[in-house]
Amino acid sequence: MNIEAINEQLLRAIGAGVAILDPDALTFRFLNEVLAEWFEAAGVGAPLAAALPDLDLEAVRAGLEAEGRYTAEASFRRKRRTLVVALTITRTDAGVVLLECQNITRMRELETMIESYSAMVERNTRDLQREKERVEKLLLSIMPRSVYEEYKTFGTVTPQSYEPVSVLTLDFIDFDEMTLKVGPSVMVSEMNDIYSAFDRIGEQFACERIKTVGDSYVAIAGLPEPDAAHASAVANAALRFVRYLARRNESHPHSWRCRIGLASGSVIGSVVGTQKYVYDVFGPAVNLATRLRDHAGPMEIVAADATRTLLGDDLMFTEIGEATVEGFGLQTLHRLGETLGAA
Amino acid sequence: MAQTLYDKYGGFGAISRVVMAFYDELLDSDVVGPFFDDVDMKRLMDHQTKFVASLLGGPADISDIRLEQAHRNLGIDGTHFEEMKRILDQTLADHGFEPDDRAAVMAEIESRRGQIVTGP
Repeated sequence: MNIEAINEQLLRAIGAGVAILDPDALTFRFLNEVLAEWFEAAGVGAPLAAALPDLDLEAVRAGLEAEGRYTAEASFRRKRRTLVVALTITRTDAGVVLLECQNITRMRELETMIESYSAMVERNTRDLQREKERVEKLLLSIMPRSVYEEYKTFGTVTPQSYEPVSVLTLDFIDFDEMTLKVGPSVMVSEMNDIYSAFDRIGEQFACERIKTVGDSYVAIAGLPEPDAAHASAVANAALRFVRYLARRNESHPHSWRCRIGLASGSVIGSVVGTQKYVYDVFGPAVNLATRLRDHAGPMEIVAADATRTLLGDDLMFTEIGEATVEGFGLQTLHRLGETLGAA
Repeated sequence: MAQTLYDKYGGFGAISRVVMAFYDELLDSDVVGPFFDDVDMKRLMDHQTKFVASLLGGPADISDIRLEQAHRNLGIDGTHFEEMKRILDQTLADHGFEPDDRAAVMAEIESRRGQIVTGP
């Protein structure tokens, strides 16, 4: 076997696509087996363009002219597949042009698959982020931010004692009768309206709503950040709650009368429960405020002695006198502000 | 949460090989291959990636409406559908999927028959 025959055998056997082209016409003079299989329609004598229709022949000629070499990526259809090749066209000393093609179809297919996958994952990540923000907003609506931060970092909240704080508890007279009278949807929309107004008023005085249980509304000042004016905060909020309700009653079909109790002292704040957890605040100040509420008449605010003392002469108090308060013994009670209808 | 087949068989790294093999087999099939004669590689690959991922519980969710829209005018009949199922089942078997898991995937596909098949 002569050297030319061996060369030809080698070219035929090589794994990449190799062809020899006419330098002027750019037609095929020889294609190895790989290329012959790829370019079914373009045999010896066929133009390069027949095999690679999207190849820029002008650019090929210009490249060969200037540098003796042209590289590009080209794709062509073979049956229902798109094959992508990285090709190099080189002018050789032997007076012919050599075409080498590497099949990079699989690489491009994988790239496309990764692109598609990344797009899915990115979309999921965005959805998760949105969901996370929603959950955060929900949790922030049931616990103070500092407590939420602790919960997020450690997965648990250490019960903490807060002192001094002031507690406001409120309920409505004839709530149960009203529930039966107006029906559930009116009831819920009334409560939403009133509680939202209370929340806005409370916010103005740094008095945060901790919970509502039916008609019982509990708000606290001085928690989680200490606030020297905690007693003043609940007292002012309580006065505005009563004023708001009185004004609302004038223009609404449903009339609501509240009772409010105010007390100062210590409370414990914690997340309670593991499955259905809520942030709750409890302790003597909460209990006392609740008991005092029971001593209040319609649209009245009753304050504990300690709260009244903290407020000095800033607000108008009327001493009610001594009364036995369940769990707290004999207590001096004070009525805050003007009583509507009774004055 | 229960482990998805997607996670069980190694996530995207492993599933990508299933997608690639499924894609190859579909194109080589004389029964369903012709549907892809004029389909752009990028579109088909994107479709297969999402389709396989959603069947296995991966990070994709192709709605029934989109599936129906994509196949509405193709005239796919029961034979085509069976061939696609056969190819996927074989591909999964080739990639080490256990019989129970393959049956679960086949049931998933079967539940989408109504969105894909429009012919007899």
